[in-house]
Amino acid sequence: MPGGSQGEGRAGGLASAEGLAGLRACVHCGICLPQCPTYRVLGEEMDSPRGRLYLMRAVAEGRLDITDGYTRHLDLCLGCRACETACPAGVPFGRLLETARGDMERRRGRGRPGLRGLLLALFPHPDRVGALLALARLYRQVGLQRLVRARGWLARAPGLAAMDVLLDRLPAAVPVPEYLPGREPVRGRVGLLAGCVQRHLYPDVNRDTARLLSLAGWDVVTQARQGCCGALDLHAGRLGTFRRRARALTAAFPRDLDWVVTNAAGCGSAMREYGHWLPDGEAAALAGRTRDVSELLADADLPLRPLPLTVTYHDACHLAHGQRVRAEPRAMLRRIPGLRLVELADSDLCCGSAGIYNILEPEMAGRLAEMKVESIVETGATAVATGNPGCLMQIAAGLRRRGSAVEVVHPVTLLARAAGVGEP
Amino acid sequence: MALSAQVVSALAAIVGETGIVVSPEGRMTYECDMHTFYKGAPDVVVLPTSAEQVEAIVGVCRAHRVPIVPRGSGTGLIGGAMAPAGGVMVSMTRMNAILEIDLASRCATVQPGLINLWLTRAVAGRGWFFAPDPSSQMVSSIGGNVSTNAGGPHCLKYGITTNHVLGLEIVTGRGERLRLGGKAPDPPGYDLVGTAVGAEGTFGLVTAVTVRLLHAPEAVKTVLAAFRSVVEASQTVSAIIAAGMIPAALEMLDAAMIGAINAGTGAGYPADAGAVLLIELDGPRAEVEAQGVRAAALCREHGALSVSVARDEAERALLWKGRKEAAGAVGRLTAAYLLQDAVVPRSKLPDIMREMAAIGERQGLLIANVFHAGDGNLHPIICYDDRDPAQLARAKEANESLLRACIALGGSVTGEHGVGVDKAKNLPLQYGEADLNFMYRLRGVFDPRGLMNPGKLLPSHPACGEGFRPARPVLPEGAWV
Amino acid sequence: MSVTARSLGAVLAAVLGAEGLREDPAARAAAAVDGVTPRWVAAPASLEAAARVLALAHDEGLAVVPRGSGSAQELGRPPARVDLVLDTRRLDAVLEWNPDDLTASVQAGITGAALASHLAVARQWLPLDPPGWSGRTLGGVVATQASGPLRARYGAPRDALLGVRFVQADGVVTWGGAKVVKSVTGYDVPKLLAGSLGTLGLLAELTLRLQPVPETEATVLVVLRDLAAARDLVARIVDSSLQPSRVELLDRGALAACSLPPAAAGLAVSIATVAAAVRAQHATLVELARAVGGLVETMGPGFWRVHDRMLAHGAVRLRVTAAPAEVVPALAALAAALPGSPGRAIVGSATVGVVRAVVEGAEPAPVADGVERLREQFTGESGSVVIERGPRVLRERVDAWGPVAPGALALMRDVKSAFDPRGILNPGRFVGGL
Repeated sequence: MPGGSQGEGRAGGLASAEGLAGLRACVHCGICLPQCPTYRVLGEEMDSPRGRLYLMRAVAEGRLDITDGYTRHLDLCLGCRACETACPAGVPFGRLLETARGDMERRRGRGRPGLRGLLLALFPHPDRVGALLALARLYRQVGLQRLVRARGWLARAPGLAAMDVLLDRLPAAVPVPEYLPGREPVRGRVGLLAGCVQRHLYPDVNRDTARLLSLAGWDVVTQARQGCCGALDLHAGRLGTFRRRARALTAAFPRDLDWVVTNAAGCGSAMREYGHWLPDGEAAALAGRTRDVSELLADADLPLRPLPLTVTYHDACHLAHGQRVRAEPRAMLRRIPGLRLVELADSDLCCGSAGIYNILEPEMAGRLAEMKVESIVETGATAVATGNPGCLMQIAAGLRRRGSAVEVVHPVTLLARAAGVGEP
Repeated sequence: MALSAQVVSALAAIVGETGIVVSPEGRMTYECDMHTFYKGAPDVVVLPTSAEQVEAIVGVCRAHRVPIVPRGSGTGLIGGAMAPAGGVMVSMTRMNAILEIDLASRCATVQPGLINLWLTRAVAGRGWFFAPDPSSQMVSSIGGNVSTNAGGPHCLKYGITTNHVLGLEIVTGRGERLRLGGKAPDPPGYDLVGTAVGAEGTFGLVTAVTVRLLHAPEAVKTVLAAFRSVVEASQTVSAIIAAGMIPAALEMLDAAMIGAINAGTGAGYPADAGAVLLIELDGPRAEVEAQGVRAAALCREHGALSVSVARDEAERALLWKGRKEAAGAVGRLTAAYLLQDAVVPRSKLPDIMREMAAIGERQGLLIANVFHAGDGNLHPIICYDDRDPAQLARAKEANESLLRACIALGGSVTGEHGVGVDKAKNLPLQYGEADLNFMYRLRGVFDPRGLMNPGKLLPSHPACGEGFRPARPVLPEGAWV
Repeated sequence: MSVTARSLGAVLAAVLGAEGLREDPAARAAAAVDGVTPRWVAAPASLEAAARVLALAHDEGLAVVPRGSGSAQELGRPPARVDLVLDTRRLDAVLEWNPDDLTASVQAGITGAALASHLAVARQWLPLDPPGWSGRTLGGVVATQASGPLRARYGAPRDALLGVRFVQADGVVTWGGAKVVKSVTGYDVPKLLAGSLGTLGLLAELTLRLQPVPETEATVLVVLRDLAAARDLVARIVDSSLQPSRVELLDRGALAACSLPPAAAGLAVSIATVAAAVRAQHATLVELARAVGGLVETMGPGFWRVHDRMLAHGAVRLRVTAAPAEVVPALAALAAALPGSPGRAIVGSATVGVVRAVVEGAEPAPVADGVERLREQFTGESGSVVIERGPRVLRERVDAWGPVAPGALALMRDVKSAFDPRGILNPGRFVGGL
């Protein structure tokens, strides 16, 4: 199939046999409801997984057109896939949502790009993210941010305001070597996905990941020229673009890697889905080799020093629900001597980040951040760890708003500190 | 029936623009509960956040004679939370606060939208729990549990919802908000709390519930036994009861369900088992230990193929695994099914299981069973192919035959799911005209205008109509002067 | 159609037979309610006969007072009218008993003792023990929602009542509920009837959930130095995994009435289960008791009989209900509000919230004042104060039931008039004079 927007989602929408089978698997039991972030906030059936599936099925069966209302309820979904974890009938909600958004995208056409279009033109391009961040640094350095905030100029543009808040953290670039040999005895060779956002906003996480993997006996390859994994396009229903990016990323990694490691849950989750959307060939093989960093480090042989901290852990949706990785990050943290891990209530409820969601739906995202921050503060922990850059930004912004001093870190950062390879 | 703009704006004024759903897409998602066979979208859905708002909503609906349908989490199995006559649906999901926990008085007061399991979660850390445990407890609301008088596996020992409701705040169909009962037992007068539990919203809208909480038992013991046949397993159930034990739960799976579960994740039931019995005992440790040994022995005496006793929490979870996966495993048997909820006296289990097999055979349909054997509460799953209308007709026929057979054995047409629209027509199986008429008049006291969840709970039957008089006893002839 | 009293008697006789109708002065006087003598005492031997009596009474506007053993005839307000006392004691059959199902259907006139001896052969029982339960009819126990110490574990009559056949005011025989332990078909009519004091219908047949008799029961009395220690101990028991079947608090007077050594208070606790668990739970209980400085004494098997006798007698018996956590304060409040006398005893079901006081030989006035004072504290959602027994003069001074919230009372009035529009069933005796 040709790449680009011509091919957006043509290969079988909701009304296809596969789509209908997925939709009909829903027995309307509602067990997903309390797990759904938007339902938790709104309590409305049409903004719950069961309600969204009901509407998707109505569209697939021709009872309902793709109306603005329908689009609205599907747009409000964070795509966190907590409902999939809860579902006793195995409804593939994430794929159905992406398929439905493909149908919507086709209908939306190429009319007005809007904020969403702009963001989708930005984030999947590491170079553009980098350029924007350079501008943003300027924005802060010349005092423009303070002025904008003081004058409340962004009050009428909540999406931009949300971006402005997120942009509080603008670290200096940290280089990650293209090749880092593993400590003897070497266990094998892994590729590291640098990530479009991660490499610019959390470059230290990439550096720490590479160092830890190396310490654990892995040769680490981090290509400078890797592109985007396509996650944002996939979630937006731009399936053609997504497939193109997936193929390109697959081609960027050498074929002889034992694993391809990600430290960004959203990327890892999308890569693990390659097999479904590109069933034949290399991309599917890459999907099979993709692992979250915690899966490789949970039981690795690492020399660790005590880190006397009380830490709680937030399950990034695309790690817990998307990749079913829950135990490993916790195990990784528990290995650190002196570190006390306390459980977070509703630890796997979305924080509201969800890719570019917090910029597109700042109100819902803000309420979810408040709920998350409230639970974090209740634990009494001095740090919260989570394995996704979006969550890191969102939670940090939420804690700042609340005036809390709780530190927000990637689990890798804590492990690196304990291993003496991170920055103090 | 479309609502007038006046009614809609009056409702919006009460709950605010974010508390009302008028869009066709939004309303569509409220057209059914878990029983998707029955569909009826409300004209508008309102999501109140306080009892005062609920009272005002009922006031507007009464003034304009608009039907009111309450809804909790929409997990009912009887078509209770749908609007056959349109009108206003009142969703309680935003009234989900725990208002008070008072362990010294062994109770809590909660708003109706609170999810059942969330209450137990709130007190579990202190060693307490809320006993009613419908299989939907991770999502169903306490208001919905009250409305249907929900049961669950552990109600064999602990009783159903009504046994745990101490007080209600309710806005009746008369338009007034009343507080009935509370922490103190036996308020003078009629037991309006007990009468209103299970009324399925036909008396009014519950806005707060005071429920009893229980201290968690000291120990739990779970025994799983496989039998050649349902008959042997049923006899074991009777033997356990006869031995003076009231297990916390006594659940049974039949051969069809065992096959489906084994084909899935594999709970590892013996392949040649015709029935699996899950026995859970809880209470003081020494009691549970002694009874566990006794129950296992009774299973062996009744020809069990295998008996496993859980030694720890992990093993207990393993024994429950198959039972908990039963609902999902049904999908492996069939794409479409009718789920029945009928009761027979526990001693009649062998009879009804034989009868059920005969009915299945007669209709050429598979009937699978997973049920609460301890209290004779059956949940036959009548499998059919929804692409074949003839099969659906036969499934419905099998369903009706089954109900009649249960009643003939002295049972009940619903044990815990409730009546709703689904079973209203079946009430005359269990009740005579005078009985139905009594209920009809009772409803009229709470809801004189007939606006509260119309079309539910009572059948359209002459006895449930204005002017009907049940037959009275005949006095002796000729005694009159 | 109108019938004279004389011919009414003839019709009643035709319906009831000679044995079923008493019109002689002695029988009428014995059946008098609060000094109001009925014209007839009817004792039907069948459901049909009972239905015919009510149909006739309805048509003729006769006020009917249903009664069982008569032990609760001083409960409630003095009657507005009494024409006919309908005695259920000849309806005393066990209709159906399925030991495997742990259910039994009985006629309402059977006594607690008669049912108990019937069920004993299969080691089953109906665990209800309101004061004087052995001589009381089950119809009476259910109609008055009467409970005793066993409620701590087994609940009230409403919890045991699965189904009920009753005769409506106009003689229509009606059924509600089910004969199985689990049914939610239609409204829970048994709940409406339980505790309705016969004002909505005559309870004729009851289907009851039974329980296995525990292997053994052991009772201890924890002797306590004061009520604060009692409150502490109750709180500890409530927040433990103990599974007591009865937890009764006895004040100084109650200890004396049970011929126990004097103390400020005692907590009688029974554990009923298998022997090994009784021993283990007993050990836990002893620990809790020691923690509050209580002395543990073992009680003999006759203790609860003595306890029952204490409550079943006495000229005046009051019942205060309160949130379980307020039982000890309620007991103290009763002690402060009622005249002290040698015959006064106060006991409380500590985990349930029911406290009873028995007073002997007191003048009505101070008792009535005490009731009024107690009602300032225990009213509405905080509880209630009910005169379970007492002379008519007391219940004329002060309402036997106390106030019911206006909205709820209006609903109750409408329930009553829906099912007894002519007001022939126990007129005047229930709350608000229903």
